[in-house]
Amino acid sequence: MVSHGSEQRSPARPLSRAALIVLAACCIALFALIPVAIARPAHHGKGKHAIFGPAQITTNPEAEQAPAEQEAAAAEEASEAPEQVQTPEQQEVATQQGGAVGEQTARTRHKGTRESGHHKEGAKEPGHHKEGAGETERSRESGKHGEQGQPVPTSPTTDDPAATSTAMAAPPAQPTASIASTVAPVVAAAPSTTTAAVAPSVADTSIQGRSSGRAHALRSASAAARRRAARAVPAEHALATVPATQLRAGLTSRSSKSSSGARRQSSRKAAGDGRPSPITTTITRIVAVVPTPVRVLIVALLALALALAVRSRMAALRTGRLERQRGQLLEDVGLLQAALLPVPPDRLGPVGTSVAYRPAAGPGAGGDFYDVFALEDGQLAVIVGDVSGHGRHALPHTALVRFTLRAYLEAGLSPRDAVQKAGTVLERQLGDQFVTVVAAIYNPRERVLVYACAGHPPPVVLATHGDSRSRGNSGSDGDHGSRVDSRSLQPVTVCSAPPIGCGLRTGTRQSVVSVPGRSQVCFYTDGVTEARVGDELFGAERLLVTLAELGGQATASSMLESVVVQTDSRADDMAACLLQVQGGDGTPTALAEELELDRRQLESGRAERFLLACGVSQAQSAEMLGAARAALARAETVVLELHLADGPPRMALRRDHLSYLHAQHENVEVYR
Amino acid sequence: MLRHADKTDAPVATAVEFGVICHQLDDRTSLISVEGELDLSSAPELKWTLLDSLDAGRDQLVLDLSLSTFMDSTALGVLIGVNRSLGDGGRMAIACARNDVLHIFELSGMDGVFAIFATLGEALAYIQRDPAAPRGAAKAR
Repeated sequence: MVSHGSEQRSPARPLSRAALIVLAACCIALFALIPVAIARPAHHGKGKHAIFGPAQITTNPEAEQAPAEQEAAAAEEASEAPEQVQTPEQQEVATQQGGAVGEQTARTRHKGTRESGHHKEGAKEPGHHKEGAGETERSRESGKHGEQGQPVPTSPTTDDPAATSTAMAAPPAQPTASIASTVAPVVAAAPSTTTAAVAPSVADTSIQGRSSGRAHALRSASAAARRRAARAVPAEHALATVPATQLRAGLTSRSSKSSSGARRQSSRKAAGDGRPSPITTTITRIVAVVPTPVRVLIVALLALALALAVRSRMAALRTGRLERQRGQLLEDVGLLQAALLPVPPDRLGPVGTSVAYRPAAGPGAGGDFYDVFALEDGQLAVIVGDVSGHGRHALPHTALVRFTLRAYLEAGLSPRDAVQKAGTVLERQLGDQFVTVVAAIYNPRERVLVYACAGHPPPVVLATHGDSRSRGNSGSDGDHGSRVDSRSLQPVTVCSAPPIGCGLRTGTRQSVVSVPGRSQVCFYTDGVTEARVGDELFGAERLLVTLAELGGQATASSMLESVVVQTDSRADDMAACLLQVQGGDGTPTALAEELELDRRQLESGRAERFLLACGVSQAQSAEMLGAARAALARAETVVLELHLADGPPRMALRRDHLSYLHAQHENVEVYR
Repeated sequence: MLRHADKTDAPVATAVEFGVICHQLDDRTSLISVEGELDLSSAPELKWTLLDSLDAGRDQLVLDLSLSTFMDSTALGVLIGVNRSLGDGGRMAIACARNDVLHIFELSGMDGVFAIFATLGEALAYIQRDPAAPRGAAKAR
């Protein structure tokens, strides 16, 4: 699930990063050049006027007026881009426009030079040569109109954009201006580094070669704009502080007054144009007095700030991505945990089932595991275990052990056989870890529980029909405990089988318990009984009392909650599985005990203690052990069965899955 | 993972209450005395003490739990691990008289594997006997 998500995102990541880098570079360049651009406000002014020129065609009475207005609108739109005039593309466009403008202006003032300028420009741009020639004719026409309509048609005005606009607005100029409008967005997006390079050269040439054809129009426009800036700056008493514009302002100041009328006209069409805003002026003045090293420093700081901003943005994006991945991972962990700690139905046949798990610390699954499931023949199987170690490293073994045992139980093996086979199979795969486990099968028809432990505490089996709460006052705690004990099964723990994975033969013990009445069977891990109450362990006795107090309505969850309330500290995971068996009165009793003996257990005296713990008399025990010793002379192991149901214990010896004959004594019978 | 927590993570109180002392009895025998509570936090210290002794070539281990006030399955896991690390001829005898600890050994089924004695003297006698004697032959009960 996670990998799928990352695959989806991975192609987009470099793209967005590259886009960010490009954007950052553009912004850095922009920031770097703002002071420079502000220091030369003439360029902006020029550009605006060169473009806004067409907007001043208000007096043209001819049929060209409508296209001229269209043209004006297009040019106005194009002029929205602030740096458009200085870029090469715009230069080209302006040159084309200048072809018309230049002819018009030259015709007004310098006829001879106009022709040469036109030829020069036409040679530069052969593609526009023919068009340029046509434009010449038509612009003459429009030029006449312009002359007629110009409010100030004096010769100095020819330098002013107001005059150039007349030609630009003429129909011949329409295609070029529309190019300008389409180019404008591109121009606006282009890096403004060209601004500084192009602008001065344009300005210079405009001063030197005012009479040179099409180029002249652009130059005149720039000169006019510079004049305006120069006019603005002196008006703001900044002439002396703007050395960069001072000279040019002086050179072009002669036409400054005459252009004001046209400027007023243009400001009617394009609001906001004209005088630099107070902010621009202020910035201009500040920039003007800032020394170059400081300017560089500011630019560097701006670049740094921008880079940090970009970096911060990217970090934020990454954070969001990681958050999403974390959410997916938690979902996955939840799914895995559910696979290891399944939620059984509330009821399997006639038996109420519940499970609960409380990790000791940290997230989710530790080493504890459980499973409750129905077998084909209507029986019910339970697995509860604990892998040594916790956390992620225990998870694979947890799953391995659980599913191995489940498979053996579903295949029809008895709990002891399942544990023994699992012990043999898993021994090699568990490495340094070992597993304690209890496997059980409950037969609801016969009301018999069969369980086998491997290093694991046996289940608590407690009758709930004589609920302590229904008996009124329960008296002292000890009295209460003894009464509970009388209703519960006392398991035989002598000769318990060792855990799986210890390098020892396991699956050597199995117990068969009759559950005649309403009872609860509680499987748990040692985290429950090893929880601490002060200096003591919580222990199986307290667990028994807790279960008795909770009664027939107890669930595994409520039981663990109660344990948590009663204990001071819980160092280990706690897992529990509770079966609520319905029925009448009746106390659980042991039906049979099974022990697989080897010579060592026989020699160490454990077998004898086992027999004694099961209630076998000393004499019977000695007799049985003698028979077992004889059997072990011919076999590795022998299974000792004790039937405890009625009267004195009856014993039987058998080799595993084979009958073993020992019929010398009446209380030792052949089984199978 | 938690069970293998570094011993520096152990609470200070436990560190004070718990102590492991290792006596070198001879070239092959170590006597390890445990005092205090053997639980999740202190079990690693016992583990490293026992494994250090094995690394030093002393594979006849006598573990005295007489002064231990508490033991849980974590410590049992340590003993199971160390028992598996014992090579040929390596033996471990445990002196323990507490019923709750003995019950843990019994429940785990490891009482048949470890040689458990009621007193330290019996445990020492078991170790100093013929090394060829089968492990677990002598029982406390």
